Amino acid sequence: MAIIRMEKLSLIGMQQEKDSIISQLMELGVVEVTDLIRSKADKHSDTEEEPVFDAELEKQEEFFRTLKSDGDEEQINKLDTEINKTAIALEAIEKYGVDKEPLFPSKIIVTETDIKRYIDGNKEVRDDIRHVLWLNDKLHKNRDKINKLTTDLASIIPWMKYDLPLNLTDTEKTSIELGVVPSTVDLENLKKKLSENHPLVDMREVTRDREFIYIFVLAIKDKLEDYLDELKKYGFSPLPFKGFEGTATVNKERIERQIDKHKNEIRAIEKNIKDMLGKLDQIKIYYDCLVMRRDKELLKRKIKKTDKTFAIKGWVPSKLKPKVDKLLESFICIHNYEEPNENDTVPVLVDNSSLVAPFEVITEMYSLPDYKGIDPTRFFAFLYAMFFGIMLSDAGYGLVITIACLVIKLRFELEGMMKKVIGTFFYCGISTVFWGAMFGGWFGDFFQVAAKVLLNKEITIKPIWFNPIEDPTKLLIWSLGFGVVHLFLGLALRAYMLIKRGQVWDAICDVVSWYLVIGGAILYGAGGNISPLLVKPGMYMAIAGVIILLLTGGRQKKGFGKVIGGLGQVYNVTSYVADILSYARLLALGLATGVIATVVNTMGSMAGNGIISFIVLILVGIIGHTFNIAINLLGAFVHSSRLQYIEFFGKFYEDGGEAFEPFRQNTKYIKIKKRN
Amino acid sequence: MLNGTGLALLGAAIASLAGIGSALGVGIAGQAAAGVLAEDPKKFGKTLILQALPGTQGIYGLLLAFLIFQKVGLIGGSGLLDVPASAGFYIMLSGIPIGLVGIWSGMAQGKAAASGLMLMGKRPDQMIKGVIYAAMVETYAIFALLISILMLINVNLG
Repeated sequence: MAIIRMEKLSLIGMQQEKDSIISQLMELGVVEVTDLIRSKADKHSDTEEEPVFDAELEKQEEFFRTLKSDGDEEQINKLDTEINKTAIALEAIEKYGVDKEPLFPSKIIVTETDIKRYIDGNKEVRDDIRHVLWLNDKLHKNRDKINKLTTDLASIIPWMKYDLPLNLTDTEKTSIELGVVPSTVDLENLKKKLSENHPLVDMREVTRDREFIYIFVLAIKDKLEDYLDELKKYGFSPLPFKGFEGTATVNKERIERQIDKHKNEIRAIEKNIKDMLGKLDQIKIYYDCLVMRRDKELLKRKIKKTDKTFAIKGWVPSKLKPKVDKLLESFICIHNYEEPNENDTVPVLVDNSSLVAPFEVITEMYSLPDYKGIDPTRFFAFLYAMFFGIMLSDAGYGLVITIACLVIKLRFELEGMMKKVIGTFFYCGISTVFWGAMFGGWFGDFFQVAAKVLLNKEITIKPIWFNPIEDPTKLLIWSLGFGVVHLFLGLALRAYMLIKRGQVWDAICDVVSWYLVIGGAILYGAGGNISPLLVKPGMYMAIAGVIILLLTGGRQKKGFGKVIGGLGQVYNVTSYVADILSYARLLALGLATGVIATVVNTMGSMAGNGIISFIVLILVGIIGHTFNIAINLLGAFVHSSRLQYIEFFGKFYEDGGEAFEPFRQNTKYIKIKKRN
Repeated sequence: MLNGTGLALLGAAIASLAGIGSALGVGIAGQAAAGVLAEDPKKFGKTLILQALPGTQGIYGLLLAFLIFQKVGLIGGSGLLDVPASAGFYIMLSGIPIGLVGIWSGMAQGKAAASGLMLMGKRPDQMIKGVIYAAMVETYAIFALLISILMLINVNLG
């Protein structure tokens, strides 16, 4: 059973033991705690059938509603604030202190006694965090100041030619106004026109750019207002320089000096933050401790309590029940297990042998299976690797991938998703070596070319099977053949699911019919190459299949729909043909890798023969083949996935399960070493 | 001038037009990538993967052009062959599927990749799905390449 069976755990315990039970459950990490009262959304889940009214459950819930919820909101908020602060501090240190993030970060290993120390409130770490936050704050203030100064600087740059103090607005007899008009204004004409009515006013251009003409207006004191009113009709807007003293040049120097000062300060602060790098690990540990504490508090929200007792409900994988039993033995509490019923949305946990487990990542990327469905991982794992191998189809590239994955596996302690991805690529790499050897590609024809360049000798590396460039049609047929196998496997899984649910008749109509149609058509079309005896039976098989489809396709419909339904089913032949043809990509992508590799080698060998040319070949080869691996690795990964998702899953897969998320130590940076 | 070899090389030229689609597609995706990067510069590596996706059409065009070069002896082999006019015509035809399909599929894939990049900007954990959406478009370039290759390989120069 690839999807783990779950059971409902109900637990009632004593208040005084609550915290230690929660802690130990977290450490064990096998229970997904759920709300005692189902939310409305849960009751009317996405199943189409009307949920069965469960009187007992309703009664239970009615009772729980009368109880108080546990959980201390204030405490949660406090912890969340603390977590946010710590996260900001961590981010700041990493930003200024760590040059490059490691590709596969490894976790810090701490003992439980360490954890205790941190949970009890480590003053030193908190002081460090406060210090980093203070520095970070100062940094931002300096940045803001620089921003403001830069804006100021930009605003005075056009006035560099204006040699009066910027803040000068009045003399004894005159007033001065600075401002801009749009650059579309014809200033000379405007000036002439205005000077007729306003003889005691002068206006001059200081400078202009693409948008504006910068002007200053000098007028006898009481004449300014009228003039400006007139000027505003032409789009004039004043630019007052409040707070600036002295001429533009003086101000510019002052501002630039200030910017430099702030920049120096920023550099100093950044260095100060960088000096905190040594504390990074401690802050990370502190962060995870906080998160764990917060999670425990969050959990309490789902708990109902009375004065002396509390109640928890949750999901436990059936086979892990003994562990929970053992844990609860030492407490005064009662607990029992229940099988899930029709109305429950059971969380999904898949379990596969270690050989297949990495490929779960492909399933997870699509969507987890429904709890009542099947986990497809072990069925497609082999074919996934095989398709990947055919598409990449170069033994040299395969070796590179396999070795790279092996090194990563040994060097880093991987977890979760990354571990599965690397595992998948490891198997795919092996498959690529196999198919590459079958098709005779070792970095394309690198060794043949190298022998020619270096030794002037012709060598040949024979493919174990055949070379697809010489006979693409053969590989095309094989590709489609693999595709038919893949599709038939998908159909078989559908039949399995139908039969398991007792719908044998549906299995015959929807699956066996297609086996007959496709299998028969293949025998009819291609069986003649093996034995002419196969052609006739093939034809009859196909016809039988079509008849079943015609007769039963509309079995769930009424009246005239029965006929249309049957025809509709037969029309599905086109979609099966499309599905099968889709596997032609195995050939196309395989050829692409091979040809590009050959092109790289050909370009590398253009320098002629001899030792220097050989070095050129090696250099060109390293660059070209790296590029080719990168592009085609992505292609093989994506298209191999696509063949699973569209062609394979489309035949049977029931997805939409919620992942099982047990209450556990959900740490980001640390790994806790168990006591024993 | 219009002999078989010339026609064959014209086919190679047509095939390499697929690069137009890739150039446009990578450009479209690149703009979106820059937008995503402005929010979070750490995503550079991931954005690069999505930006590179529409680049494959150009590679397929290049690939077919090289196959034609090899066929007529422009590279590798013993110098340019004298290709009969009819064979040259067939070779030219073989360049058309990938050349034409490449243009539009590259553009369309660029748009899909750009949307994938937006998706990644908001939900980095869903990135692979964006990659797969974009790769769905590529299917048709792959088929075109396959048709081109099958046409080319089955041409008899004799």
